[in-house]
Amino acid sequence: MSTIHRGLTVTVVVEEEKLEQVNVLLHDFNQHAKTYKTAYKEHLPSTYFISWLTLPAQVYAEKVKLPARILFMTSYVGSKKQHISELVNFLGPRLQAVFEISKEFSPSIANLDDLAAFIRRKTVFQAFYSGFKFIPTQDVSREQEIKSTVFDFLETQRENADFPKKSPASVKEDIENFVKNQDEFGWASAGLSDKKADKVRMLLPLGIFLLAMATSLVCLVLSFFMDYAVLSWMGLVFPAFLVILVLLFIWLRINENNPHIPNEPVSDEWIRQIIEREKNPVLNEMTVIAPLKKGLIRRIFLGLSLRLITLVGYFSYIPTVHTARWLQLDGGRRLVFIANFDNISEAYAHDFVDSDNRSRNMAVVFSHAAGFPATKWLVKRGYNHRSEYMKGVRFHQKITQFWYAFNTGLSVENLKNNRKFREGLFQKMEEEEIKEWLLTN
Amino acid sequence: MTLELNDMQGLLIRGFGNLLGAQYVLLRFTDAALGKKYISELLPLITPATDKPTDHAIQMAFTYSGFSFLKLPDEGLISFSREFREGMTEDHRQFILGDSGENAPNNWVWGNAAQEDIHLLLIIYSKDADTLAEKLLFEKARADQYGVVELHTLPTGLLQDHKEHFGFRDDISRPIIEELVENVEKKVGVTFPAGEFIMGYKNLYNEYAPAPYLSATHDQMNILPSSPDFADKKDFGKNGTYLVFRQMEQDVFGFWDYLKRQGKDTEETICLASKMVGRWPDGSPLTLTPDRADPSLSTANAFGFWDEDKAGLKCPIGAHIRRTNPRDHLVTERTQKDSSEMAAKHRMLRKGRPYGTPVLEPLEPKGIMELPRDNERRGLHFLCLVTDIRRQFEFVQNNWVNFHKFGGQDHDADPIIGNHYKSDKVVTDEFCIPEYPVKRKLKNIPNFTLIKGGSYFFFPGIRALKYLASHE
Repeated sequence: MSTIHRGLTVTVVVEEEKLEQVNVLLHDFNQHAKTYKTAYKEHLPSTYFISWLTLPAQVYAEKVKLPARILFMTSYVGSKKQHISELVNFLGPRLQAVFEISKEFSPSIANLDDLAAFIRRKTVFQAFYSGFKFIPTQDVSREQEIKSTVFDFLETQRENADFPKKSPASVKEDIENFVKNQDEFGWASAGLSDKKADKVRMLLPLGIFLLAMATSLVCLVLSFFMDYAVLSWMGLVFPAFLVILVLLFIWLRINENNPHIPNEPVSDEWIRQIIEREKNPVLNEMTVIAPLKKGLIRRIFLGLSLRLITLVGYFSYIPTVHTARWLQLDGGRRLVFIANFDNISEAYAHDFVDSDNRSRNMAVVFSHAAGFPATKWLVKRGYNHRSEYMKGVRFHQKITQFWYAFNTGLSVENLKNNRKFREGLFQKMEEEEIKEWLLTN
Repeated sequence: MTLELNDMQGLLIRGFGNLLGAQYVLLRFTDAALGKKYISELLPLITPATDKPTDHAIQMAFTYSGFSFLKLPDEGLISFSREFREGMTEDHRQFILGDSGENAPNNWVWGNAAQEDIHLLLIIYSKDADTLAEKLLFEKARADQYGVVELHTLPTGLLQDHKEHFGFRDDISRPIIEELVENVEKKVGVTFPAGEFIMGYKNLYNEYAPAPYLSATHDQMNILPSSPDFADKKDFGKNGTYLVFRQMEQDVFGFWDYLKRQGKDTEETICLASKMVGRWPDGSPLTLTPDRADPSLSTANAFGFWDEDKAGLKCPIGAHIRRTNPRDHLVTERTQKDSSEMAAKHRMLRKGRPYGTPVLEPLEPKGIMELPRDNERRGLHFLCLVTDIRRQFEFVQNNWVNFHKFGGQDHDADPIIGNHYKSDKVVTDEFCIPEYPVKRKLKNIPNFTLIKGGSYFFFPGIRALKYLASHE
């Protein structure tokens, strides 16, 4: 079974006057999800997060009205087909009740299969990030439990005078014997399934891209020595890619000369409404949706950037973020960003602006959104303008009416540490490796 | 950019350590016009940063409520930061600061906005206790004359060897303001641009620190300088800053009793306490001298964690000094550079003083551990100066001190100043000590410090004080 984390984003247009009707439904469903969280966990085993919200109409480039929308976004693990099937089987009536308010929902949708097909049709492309790759939901609690039980066991061993003198290998052996003798941890003895296939699957698009570029480069060189049309054509791919990139950059640079229109400061009341929802003790959610700055190049450049981000997704790292996604809507005129992160947004937003590297990376996406700091050559000048960035986030932040999280008690570091501990169980290691493993939090 | 020292109150650049006596007086105006006259009379007595007084010094700071009472124009009032306007005891600020349970404002002695309205903080330093008593009497009479009500007077007392009440040397790591370094070649350690701590100057983001401002029409006498951010505005914040005040009561006997129960002997008890703090009682850092205290390192501050102690084997990742200033190592960061940049954005200029009589002099842990509990109240009047309350003070308090998941921990708030509790969803009363063969976990840690009062103040520059005393 695949353990790759993915995002699903479903969106439909809705009439503005019906937004309130949708909001009321989502509010009720949110209460339901909180009351029956156990049932959600049981029936949605592939789902880590669901953010479901309405998006009011917005204005793009001072004149184009972007429609009001309903957005349904999940972070899940494994197969998309299986995930959608779980969603419609458990949330079917609720999904239908919300989506049928949109004119895009066909009255002919009569059963769950139709609903699943509708959801598939309405999904959109996104760049997705997970901070705890390859961990399925069913491992979250049990990996926490086994680590915690083992360390409690070791605490009892501390009373033994010889314990501090034990070699790392001997302590590891004690741990493994202890685990073997606990019936409830029988699953751990089997070890972890090999993630190579999942890693290859994640890296495949990047591999194909690099291979195509490398092949083109080789063909280009060969075309100087051999007179085959195919070599000449293939040889053009890489230079054409570079030329297109350069031209896009120049076009973007011209667009960057447009006068910067800053966001208006947001009211205290708006901020209070947002932060009031951020009182979960470990992790919270943030949704930022902004029209792009004026100009076709912004839409094209952001689209290209999101695809490149997807290619290198396996290697990307954003501290304290469980999952995040970036996507474009309405012909690329709107940027949607959602993140599920540790602690509260006032702390989390600093992760973006407090490090020069990350501010620069974030500028690749956010500098295209209206009101965000003006840049030069995409990442120069203004990208780290902290107050404007923070103002932009708050100005475009939306209230998520429905939020479900499978895990609400463990931070990203907790999840990774628990996995690291489990990976070491019953695995052959050198003394130094065992020492490091035993230090796992 | 040269600092305008003559327009700053002295506390911004010095702690008045030579003035051993100090008292914090919390006051409330009863009449706006009289209040302005009171400020006007006090103004020449305020010690500017250019002076190095040997006898006494007076400083003053205002709450939002105080500015509002003195009828600072609405435009100016609204331009203060939201957290200052809301105040420390507003619901969300309480949540951010972790002021719940035993630390909730309804258990405070002062500062709970629901119970009393503080307008002004007067800080009086004096060379000794006798002259301090004289000054206090004098200032009390002055306040009475202008209908300014004295709500609380909070005494202080410096402890021997720069210690705090638990017996550890304190206040070693202080940010150095770049513009104050006279000889750049002799510069030691990391320095910070003035804008991190003083308004009107550039901060680490190369922006002017956000400051309160007014339209020029409100400043007919042209007292205030121009705003660096808005051409048509006057800068009320220039050479001022926010002052955060928290009264932290320390349970000295509770601290050492708990640790005695965890340690086999006195030596291990002191070692565990030092692991919690991150320094030995004499101040020497565990990172540089992990096995025993080294008096020659008692003020050592030039060290990091990235190269020396990433796993926390010397100084635990959850130790107090590592949480309040992670220096060059944040567990969630992948490079030393990113860690250092992140940590630098959340520093504060600490200016507080202890209060209450020490349990013993000198404050040696071995001696403290042998003493029976007394009923004295003692602790720290924590004062810090920051240009951004949310980014600096509240961020550290929320994300590093009280967040129980800091650095990949499970249930650990700051062992010394964190709010320790257990609820259905959250446990924060543990402390993890990485060691071989396996980590050690201290559990059921009680609160060793309790918040007993607090408020956000604004600490104006001299021109802003003049404006305040004379505005229409």
